[in-house]
Amino acid sequence: MNNPLYAPFFNATRDVFKLMLDLSNISDKPLLDKDVSAQDSKINIEIGIIGDLQGKVIYHFPKQTSLEMVKIMSGMEFSEIDDFVTSALGEIANIISGNVMSTLSVQKISCDILSPHILNETGDTTEINYEFESGMQICTDIGSVDLNIILNTK
Amino acid sequence: MIWKDRYKLGVTLIDEQHQELFTRVSDFVEVLRSSVPWEQRVEKVNETLNFMKDYVVTHFHDEEKYQKQIGYPEFAAHKKIHNDMVKYVAEVASQYERDGYNEQLMQQFAGKLLAWLINHVASEDQKVADFVRKGVVEDE
Repeated sequence: MNNPLYAPFFNATRDVFKLMLDLSNISDKPLLDKDVSAQDSKINIEIGIIGDLQGKVIYHFPKQTSLEMVKIMSGMEFSEIDDFVTSALGEIANIISGNVMSTLSVQKISCDILSPHILNETGDTTEINYEFESGMQICTDIGSVDLNIILNTK
Repeated sequence: MIWKDRYKLGVTLIDEQHQELFTRVSDFVEVLRSSVPWEQRVEKVNETLNFMKDYVVTHFHDEEKYQKQIGYPEFAAHKKIHNDMVKYVAEVASQYERDGYNEQLMQQFAGKLLAWLINHVASEDQKVADFVRKGVVEDE
């Protein structure tokens, strides 16, 4: 079954990347296991969703993409992932997710998001079965970002 | 942090304040990210943090005054975003003082502030400019 949040999350991510990072060449594709590289370290950020839909979205920002994003925003060079970089990307994940919730509210779907939560290196979370589980890879000129959207309808 | 002309709303006071905020946050990030030992940076960091605490309140107040003046329909939602940010800045500043000027907390704060400010000016505030432009077109 199609994940009802796939399109809203893609649209919101595209719009935020365009506005905040001046990225215009943005596309998506379903995330396949072969696309997930274990070699590149990532920042994994979970945003919980509560309300009419319940679950979470997990953003996986690869190291090089993360550093490039923060460089675009600050105009400064960054060589390592640290508290500053992680926090900036947590806010981007928060903004994208908040925009999705605003879109849903227009459709009379009432949801809220929880504060960003930084996950461990692999991004693994607890094993629970959800009604909808889908992944997307968002491709940009500065690298890709993966999103896993996992949720139940109430 | 780079100011872009497309961020301009066309309201001189607000545009000047936004540019000042960008300059101050840039300076703040630069000091915070420098390789000089924390003990030598902390005074400048504290000074900028104190300035921003006050300046953000002044700027938000001026922005809200303008929104009221033009009858911006999303005023209440926009004001809530401002209030939440003022509360967040006050909480961080208070925790920072309580913890004895902890660098990690300031790095986290600055990362969030950077992304928040760009989004707020490039997206949320542009909705106000769109409302004004739409009004002008409809009046013609």
